[in-house]
Amino acid sequence: MNKSLILIKRECLTRVRTKGFLIGTLLAPVLMLLMTVLPGLLMNVVSEGEQTIAVVDLTGRLMPALETYVSDTKKDVQGKPLYKLVPAESNPRVLDTTKIHLNRQVRQGRLNVFLVLPGDIFETNRFELYAKNTGNFQVNESLNDMVSAVVSKIRLSESGLDPELVKRLNKRVRASTFKIGENGAKEESGELTFALNYMLGLFIYMALIFYGMFVMRGVIEDKSSRVIEILLSSARPRQIMTGKIFGIGLAGLIQIGVWGLCIILLTTYGLVMAKQFSPAAQNLPIPSISVWVVLSFILFFILGYFIYAAVYAAMGSIGNSESDMQNLQWPAMAPILMSFFLMFAIQKNPDGPLATVLSLIPLFSPILMFTRISAHAVPLWQVLLCIGLCLLAIAGLIWISARIFRIGILMVGKRPTLPEALKWIRKT
Amino acid sequence: MNILSIHRVNKSFEAIHAVRDLSFDVEKGQTFGLLGPNGAGKTTTIRMVMQILLPDSGDIQIFGKKLEPALTDRIGYLPEERGLYRKMKVLDAVAFFGELKGMPRTRALEESRRWLKKLDLTEWTDRKLEELSKGMQQKVQFICTVLHGPELLVLDEPFSGLDPVNVNMLKDVMLELKQDGATIIFSTHQMEQVERLCDAICLIHRGENVLSGSLSAVKGKFGKNRIQMRYDGAATFLKDRNLVSGFDDYGKYVEIRPAANATPQEILKRAVRDVNVTHFEIAEPSLNEIFIQLVQPKGGKP
Repeated sequence: MNKSLILIKRECLTRVRTKGFLIGTLLAPVLMLLMTVLPGLLMNVVSEGEQTIAVVDLTGRLMPALETYVSDTKKDVQGKPLYKLVPAESNPRVLDTTKIHLNRQVRQGRLNVFLVLPGDIFETNRFELYAKNTGNFQVNESLNDMVSAVVSKIRLSESGLDPELVKRLNKRVRASTFKIGENGAKEESGELTFALNYMLGLFIYMALIFYGMFVMRGVIEDKSSRVIEILLSSARPRQIMTGKIFGIGLAGLIQIGVWGLCIILLTTYGLVMAKQFSPAAQNLPIPSISVWVVLSFILFFILGYFIYAAVYAAMGSIGNSESDMQNLQWPAMAPILMSFFLMFAIQKNPDGPLATVLSLIPLFSPILMFTRISAHAVPLWQVLLCIGLCLLAIAGLIWISARIFRIGILMVGKRPTLPEALKWIRKT
Repeated sequence: MNILSIHRVNKSFEAIHAVRDLSFDVEKGQTFGLLGPNGAGKTTTIRMVMQILLPDSGDIQIFGKKLEPALTDRIGYLPEERGLYRKMKVLDAVAFFGELKGMPRTRALEESRRWLKKLDLTEWTDRKLEELSKGMQQKVQFICTVLHGPELLVLDEPFSGLDPVNVNMLKDVMLELKQDGATIIFSTHQMEQVERLCDAICLIHRGENVLSGSLSAVKGKFGKNRIQMRYDGAATFLKDRNLVSGFDDYGKYVEIRPAANATPQEILKRAVRDVNVTHFEIAEPSLNEIFIQLVQPKGGKP
C-alpha cells in the first residue's frame, strides 16, 4: 500500500476509535434535538395556566375595555385566555390599604400581578405594575401593550375618531422579498435566508477552527512524543503531512456527515410535525435552500478545511508542546475570523468589487465565496476561478508546511520566531 | 563491499558546524561503532544517513547507491529519543511501522506477533503502549526497528536507559541479526560495549573523524604499552615520575602509562613494595583511554 494511504488510515482510525469521537458524534445531534424541541416544550410548560391579574382602575373607565381586549387578543395557541383580570377596590382614598392587601395576595400566590392605573393615566402615560418577578419582560411587555392599546383606543374614541378606521389607516406596509436567481424570481423570506446563510457561514467558521486545531495538536503530539523521527526515517515529510491532513479530514467528514444527516432528518421531520399541529406554520415561508447552495457549502467547506489544515499544520510544526498552541493558533485563526466579520459586509453587497476580490483570495474564499453564492447568483467563471485558486493554494500550502515541518520538526528547545520559520521555507 | 560510505560530508546549523569534512566506510556484515563525546555530531551524521537531514555538501552512499527515499525501507532505525504512539495498542503500533516500511499488512502482523513472543511481550499485545513500563516500551521500539528484516541497522545509543537484563537481551538479538547477515551501525559512549561488540569504529570529535578503522588496527596504532593492575593498598609509587608518565586509578584497579625509560619489570618491582598486587598485565590501551586521550582538551589531566 502507498505510504500516504497507510498514514491516512492510521490518523483516521485512531481518531474515530476514541470515546471522545463517539460521544461527540452521537451527543451533538441529541443536543441539537434538545435545543430545537426543549424551548417549545418549556414555553408550553410555563404558559400553562392563566395568570391572575388584579386591576386597581382609578380612572373608573378602563376595566371593561381591558376585559374585551384580553378576551379578544390575549390567548395562547390552544385558544385559552392568558390572563384572568380581577377588578380590585378602586377607591383612591383607601389606595394604600388596597395595595397592602394585594401585596399580601401576590406573596401568597393567589395573584400573579396587580396593576394600578392612576386617574391621570391619560396625561402622564404611566401606570404601576406590581409582581413577584418584575424581570419577566415577556409578561411586562404584553401588559404594557395591553394597557397602552386600551388607553389609546379610549383616547381616539373620546376625540371622536373611529378606532377601527384609524387602525386601518395606520396599518404598516411590509415588503415581500423575492430572490432573483437563474430560474426567475421566487418568493422567500429575507430574514430567514439571511439567518440561514449566517448559520452556515458560522458553521464553516467554527468547523475550520475546530478541525484546524485537531491537525495542529496532531502535529505537535507527534513532535513532543518524538514519534516523528521514526516516521521521517520511513516516509517523506510531504507524505506525513498528507497523512495527517487527509486522515483527520476523513474523520471530521464522517462526524459532520452524521451531524448533517441528523439535521436533515430533524428539519424535515420537524417541519412536517409543525404543519400538522399548527395551521400558522402552513404559511411559514420556508427558506428554500437550493441544491447549488448545499453543493457549494460542501465544496467550500472541504476546500476551506484543506487550506486551513495546511496552515494549522505549518504552525504546529513550529511548536514543541501543547502550551505553544495558544500562541501559534492566532496566525491561523486570524484570516478565519476576518472572513467571518467580512461576511456581514459582503452580504450587503455581494456583487461589489470589494466582495468579488476578497472572495477570490483563497484564505477568505471558504466563507466569503460561499456567502456570495448563497446570497446571490455568482457568475460561473468566478466560481471556477475561485476553486482553481483554492486548489493551487492547497498544493502550495501543503508544500510550504511540509518544508517547515521537515526543519521545525526536529528542533526542540527554543521555539523559532515567525521570521525564522519563513527562512526555513526558503532554504533546506 | 561498502554498505555505507560517507565522503567529505558537511552540515551546519546556523552558527554551529556540526559535521566537518567527515568520511568513513562501513563494510557489509560489520558491527560498526560510532563514538564520540556528547555533541560530537553522531546523531546529526545518523540523521543524514536516514535522510531526515540533508548534508550541505559531500556524498553519502548506501548499498552502493546515492541516497533516495526508497532505500530507507531497507534500513532499521532506532532514534536516540524514543517515542511511540502512546494511545495505540502494541500490536497495531508495531504492525503500522512495519507497513510503513513497505511490508504487506498480513506479514507485518505475523512478524509483529513473532517478535513480541520472542521478547516476552505476548501478553501485552492488546494493551495500549502507555500502560507498558519504560523498559517494555524500549523493547517494543526495538521491534519496530527490526520488524521488516533490514539489511542495515542504525541504532542511536541503543543501550542507554536499559537495565542489565535488557542490555544483554538486546546484545543477543544484535548478534543474531549479525549472524543472519545484517550490518549494524550504532552510536554510543559506553566503551566497554564497543570493545566487545564492534569490528570497526569511527571516533568523531567536534564533527570531525579523529580516529577510524578496524578495532585491532586502531589499538595497534597506540602500541601495546599499557599496564593494567589490580591491587590492595596505597599505591604511592604512581607519583614516581621516573616510572609512571600517566595513570587512571580506580582505587583497586589502575591503568598505567609507563615513563619513557621505565620497563614493566621495574614498575612491578616497585609496586610490590607498596601494595599487594593481585593482577598484572601488559596490554593495549583500552578504548576508554584512547577516547579520553583524543577527546580531552589539550593541557588537561594526564
